[in-house]
Amino acid sequence: MQLIIAGIGGQGILFTSRVLGQMAIDRGRTVIGSEVHGMAQRGGSVISHFKVGDYKSSLVRRGQADILMAFDQTEGLRNLFYLKKGGVFLVNAGDEAVFQNTSLQKFLADRSIRTCRFAGHEILNQHMGGNYLFLNVLILGTAAGLGLEGFEKESVVQALRELAPPKHLESNLKVFDLGMTAARN
Amino acid sequence: MNKKALLLGNEAIAGAIVAAGCQVATAYPGTPSSEILPAIAKRADELEAEMVVEWGANEKVAFEMAVTSTFAGARACCVMKHVGLNVAADPFMTTALYELKGGMLLVSSDDPGPHSSQNEQDSRFFAMFAKVPCLDPADAEEAAAMVADGYSLSERHGVVTMLRPTTRISHSRQALDLPSSRAPAPKLPVAFERNPARWCPLPAIVRTSHPRHNARLLRIQEEFEHDWGRYNFEVKAQKPARLGVIASGIAFASLCDVLVEQGREDVDILKIGTPFPLPVKMADEFVARHDRILVLEESYPVIELQLTNRTRVMGRSNGFVPEAGELLPEVVADLLARALGEEPEAPDAEFVSLMDELRLAPRKPTLCAGCPHRSSFLSIRRALPSAINPSDIGCYTLGINQKGIDTSICMGGAVTSSSGLYLAHKVSGQSRPVVATIGDSTFYHMGVPGLLSAVYNRHSFVLCILDNSSTAMTGGQSHPGLGEKPRKEDEGVAVDLIKLCHGCGVEFVEVVPAYDNAAGVDAVKRAWQHAEAERKPAVVIFRHPCMLLRPKQDVIPVTVDPDKCVGCRYCIDYFGCPGLSFDERTKKTSIDPNYCISCGACRAACPHGAILEEKR
Repeated sequence: MQLIIAGIGGQGILFTSRVLGQMAIDRGRTVIGSEVHGMAQRGGSVISHFKVGDYKSSLVRRGQADILMAFDQTEGLRNLFYLKKGGVFLVNAGDEAVFQNTSLQKFLADRSIRTCRFAGHEILNQHMGGNYLFLNVLILGTAAGLGLEGFEKESVVQALRELAPPKHLESNLKVFDLGMTAARN
Repeated sequence: MNKKALLLGNEAIAGAIVAAGCQVATAYPGTPSSEILPAIAKRADELEAEMVVEWGANEKVAFEMAVTSTFAGARACCVMKHVGLNVAADPFMTTALYELKGGMLLVSSDDPGPHSSQNEQDSRFFAMFAKVPCLDPADAEEAAAMVADGYSLSERHGVVTMLRPTTRISHSRQALDLPSSRAPAPKLPVAFERNPARWCPLPAIVRTSHPRHNARLLRIQEEFEHDWGRYNFEVKAQKPARLGVIASGIAFASLCDVLVEQGREDVDILKIGTPFPLPVKMADEFVARHDRILVLEESYPVIELQLTNRTRVMGRSNGFVPEAGELLPEVVADLLARALGEEPEAPDAEFVSLMDELRLAPRKPTLCAGCPHRSSFLSIRRALPSAINPSDIGCYTLGINQKGIDTSICMGGAVTSSSGLYLAHKVSGQSRPVVATIGDSTFYHMGVPGLLSAVYNRHSFVLCILDNSSTAMTGGQSHPGLGEKPRKEDEGVAVDLIKLCHGCGVEFVEVVPAYDNAAGVDAVKRAWQHAEAERKPAVVIFRHPCMLLRPKQDVIPVTVDPDKCVGCRYCIDYFGCPGLSFDERTKKTSIDPNYCISCGACRAACPHGAILEEKR
């Protein structure tokens, strides 16, 4: 499985790739990925590459990603070229109008891309007092909600137990469920 | 027992350095190398290792601390980024010829792309220049393995050995073993023995040490030809090969993945992990066996230029391979197709036209919401709008977004650029204010000599030290002004910034809170008056902790009064906080609650007083 996580520096992307890595390790899988640190992290466009399986390179080639997780709509759309045909596009959508664009609709349809849009900021405003740092767990919840292989609730929760501070566990579980629900709607 | 952990490449390198029995580890932070030294300290604490772990004030200092400890027989390492090696070049080039007593590993991390650097220089060329062996890992696991082998090479030959990871190795994440044991200390006890002929590079001594080093380098090259099969090896094609590829680093790893994805079985690979000195016989023999040869390496043609026969080689020196930028997997796939005489995969035209239609610009890096630098730039510009603003290397280079900086070269360059710009105007009979910005860590790193020189030569300019109590851009490491040290229970001394400036001979040194616009404007104006009248540099220290340190500060929610906002965009163009948003339809600024941290600093940014504290 090859995955791209796209967003903006400071959105908690690095934590997501750590959770994904832990989940893969817990399943006894080989994992390799690439992160962004430094200047590129200061609020600019950021992408993490992540590969589970027998790979040597930490980088995903364009047109090869199974999943694109977008913490930010614009960053997601800009990185659509990474997705393979039939890939999954999970996107924290802020502006519904863009998705009414017929060229975009055609692009996604031509490539049989399964798109899951969720209003991350709205959900977190409503349920988590506007704490957007939960976006990373929310997006993992949407992947589970879609029933994607390797994102089963138990394995995400186990990884969160291993990596997140215990005091945040309850909130993380709540956010994860919100993500699952959002994906199913 | 070793246990598998999901490690950052830099953590894997750090774990291997501690496991190799390193006793003295030094560094100056710089992306992509910054996480190595803190990870060394953490691992040394966990294993209760007898080891000193210290930041040097700059890379030259750090390198000299480490390399001279090997004169006494200690096993040492020094870690830096590629441009840091420019700073450490003087001791590096000279000690390259020494016969060291303890093992010395230099980790110089390169940044092809670049992602977070001012250039794409290739440290392997520096290894070639200095004539020291260089190890070039293709992934984090190999980087960690090369640490122990690098030390053993260094100690066998008494030579500085370079490990050269790139960003994609340093910042990769891989499930790896974190070794929990530590190699025994060097056999000989640490003790410095007097031997000036060994430790002083007088010309007469170099006339024998240099030829001796050349002979040593040939022995190392022979080793690389025969005994380093773990890192230099051939991956044979299953079918008759139509192409031979010599590859190193992440380009080798990406090539392997591309071949598997494409089901291609007609390409031989010679993987090189020791680019200098290149095992030339091995490489020449590989070249001779293939009609077409492609060389994939980052970022300069180091392997390629050492090949004896380059007539059939497609590489970076003849422009077949792009001469700048990273060899991303799609670039590798494209080069592979073209090298085989096949049609490369066409770019997705539909995607390109979609992007044209949607007009989605990539987001530029920017200072954090609430960043004190943003406020400092606002004050500096307001104080003297006609001033030239040299700057330096750090987060504050992002002041370019608010038109707050005019020049930037390298660490410490803000101070010396101010001198140069002052002199250019002086020599032609002009006077123009120069107000420079530099960070606290950068000032300690290389700002001090420039300031001494400016006082000595009577240069008029204002140096603003943006003191956020952190080496922020690289992740908040300590520096001499803070006094904290990487290992637990190891305390240093904080060197006082104000006294340091006075010690350099600067009379005008004032400290202002970075958020206080009125105080900042006033201090910069007075500083320039002083500098011009006294023909001396003046220093203004803007102080406020880095937002990433999560400082406790007043919470001041703000709002924009739409009646007062005239739509002039000053707050966007000259302040530019992510918490401010401008609506092109209404021509009004508003607060974006997704980003605003309620620091209240933007109230000073509006010339019309439209940004106000929100009364709740």
